[in-house]
Amino acid sequence: MELKMDDLTKEFGKFTAVDHISLTMTNGVYGLLGINGAGKTTLMRMLCTLLRPTVGNIYCNGRDIFEMDSEYRKLLGYLPQEFGFYPEFTVQDYLLYIAALKGIRPAVARKRVRELLEKVGLAKAAGKKMKKLSGGMKRRAGIAQAMLNDPKILILDEPTAGLDPNERIRFRNLISELSEERLVLLSTHIVSDVEYIANEIWLMGEGTILHRGSVEEIIASMPENVWECSVKKDQVAAYMRNYKISNMKTEPEGAALRIISRDRPAESAKRAEASLEDVFLYYFGENAKSEAEEIG
Amino acid sequence: MVWFEIKKIFSRTGNKIALLLLAALLSLTCFLTVGSVEYVDEQGESASGIEAARHLREDKNQWAGEITEEVLLKVLQRDAEINASEEYLSKDVQENNKAYAKKQGFSDIRDMLNHAFTPFREYDYYRVDSLTAKEAARFYEQRVVVLMDWLNSDEAKDRYSEEEKNFIITKYRELQTPLYYEYADGWKAFAEYAPTIIMLTVLILAFPIAGVFANEFQCRAESIFFSARLGRNKAVRSKIYAGIWIITGIYWTVIFWYSAVVLGILGTDGAECAIQTSLGGWKSFYHITNLQNYFLIVGGGYLGSLFILTLVMFLSARTHSMVLPVTVPFILLFLPSFLSNLPVLSEVLGLWPDQLLQMGQTVCMFHLYQVGNKVVGAVPIIMILYPVLTCVLLPLLYRIYSRTEVK
Repeated sequence: MELKMDDLTKEFGKFTAVDHISLTMTNGVYGLLGINGAGKTTLMRMLCTLLRPTVGNIYCNGRDIFEMDSEYRKLLGYLPQEFGFYPEFTVQDYLLYIAALKGIRPAVARKRVRELLEKVGLAKAAGKKMKKLSGGMKRRAGIAQAMLNDPKILILDEPTAGLDPNERIRFRNLISELSEERLVLLSTHIVSDVEYIANEIWLMGEGTILHRGSVEEIIASMPENVWECSVKKDQVAAYMRNYKISNMKTEPEGAALRIISRDRPAESAKRAEASLEDVFLYYFGENAKSEAEEIG
Repeated sequence: MVWFEIKKIFSRTGNKIALLLLAALLSLTCFLTVGSVEYVDEQGESASGIEAARHLREDKNQWAGEITEEVLLKVLQRDAEINASEEYLSKDVQENNKAYAKKQGFSDIRDMLNHAFTPFREYDYYRVDSLTAKEAARFYEQRVVVLMDWLNSDEAKDRYSEEEKNFIITKYRELQTPLYYEYADGWKAFAEYAPTIIMLTVLILAFPIAGVFANEFQCRAESIFFSARLGRNKAVRSKIYAGIWIITGIYWTVIFWYSAVVLGILGTDGAECAIQTSLGGWKSFYHITNLQNYFLIVGGGYLGSLFILTLVMFLSARTHSMVLPVTVPFILLFLPSFLSNLPVLSEVLGLWPDQLLQMGQTVCMFHLYQVGNKVVGAVPIIMILYPVLTCVLLPLLYRIYSRTEVK
């Protein structure tokens, strides 16, 4: 399976959401990392044929996906960021309906729904109305619907948004389990969602791919170093002003800081191993920080 | 998939309430329709409903048969006898009611005579009281004479072209006489109240129907819908089928129960009588029976409902919302009431879709349209025009929805 984006561009009036992206994906997990407004959702919507590009094309095994139409969508599983459902439907009815939308015959659909409900841990909630499910359960129903047709291309847009840490870990493991022999594109602004499961990470900002590669390659791409040091309370503000701080832990005497800087920021500072989160902060600066605060 | 679409619509509480409301309004309309048939007994007391229908049937069917000169003379004679009675001349209303009770059997024929011998746009309830036997003999000719007088009057002379005038006169002359008469109050009551229940059905159905296409966007489920394999073809067709099923199923259920209750209670006698044998239908230039009028009312109502509600689907598919689409039936049905005073719009309003929902009245209207030398009434035009427009809207609806972009 090969999905190729060729000069892909999407403009909304004067605003360019996706800016001339040319990339190729094959089987494996791709983590699309970027802050809100980076263009991730627009890119994914084009990959799901929900939006037509202003310029450029998307090819699936060499054929234009918009020309392939339903033939392409047959290969596709999609979990959108805003996962909408029909509140009065039971989980089972909902999945059977989506199965019908995906052209799966009713007898096959019933079997597939049973299997997937087991897999995502919703077997006991099959008769529950969708509106009665918790946030995590809804997301699991979402991944189940995306998997109904055993897609060769699985696109997950912010699948862990709004989940508590436990649910997020469960969800991550589930995606990892499902990623065998298919192409998975997972967008997130939470670094840990993709850090351990993505074969390749794309850093996206302002509609373009800033960097791409494995976690190690992305980390190595950062031209600065990571330092850890403890500073006194009255020095914290000055450090915050002068350096990119990827983490701050308050201590009785002051604070333990994790600083991104080319040069040693203090005598006592020790070099630390850079993480993907540091790289994220380095490329997306204050915006990345505020998002990190947002997700707690 | 169609079943899921229907289930999706009726799983919503608001739509369940809409259906219950429609059932309640259907019951109320049935009650009002049956109650509209009144009978005054020999004691001058009024009754309505089932008993009234039974008595009226007995009284009116004594006059059943062709309305010949002989029958008309008999009506004049009987009317004069009652007018000379103590009850009629009394100043006591109750006594007057007793006199009226005796006229009920031939009241429909009496109404026709009144119509035939008063100017076209007027109605004189007492005209028959002063009618001579010689005049009554000209009963059927008089229908045409009154029409011609009106067509030559200041009010109408410029309203219609010569071809249109000739068309109506010819139609009037083509009416097969003598007319056959019998009790037909069931059909008359049905025709009178049918527009109410048909319009209510359309207005209420607009809510679930607007949801067929807007639902995905309201539930924010459009991304999954359109990214699914059949989301841009078969699923869209299923939505259209579901919409048509809902309209068809609910409309005919309503019509079935309304017909069953009203005609079941008030009776189906008089099915073969011409609509001209009733007060409302006397002036109509459409030569149809009560039964044919019934089929026109329910058939026209269906075509009108289908068109208006397809338009609702079309707009909800276009706007992804229910707000504008649900107002459309209100606008289409009530706008003519506000614009009917503008003569300029008279011709347009004669072809307005609301006319299909009130065919009982439409067949009594003088909306004429001329193409070259050919003159036609509004009924055949709207019976063809709106099904055609519906057929045009459906592929457009499919096209618009299947090409939706999710932004």
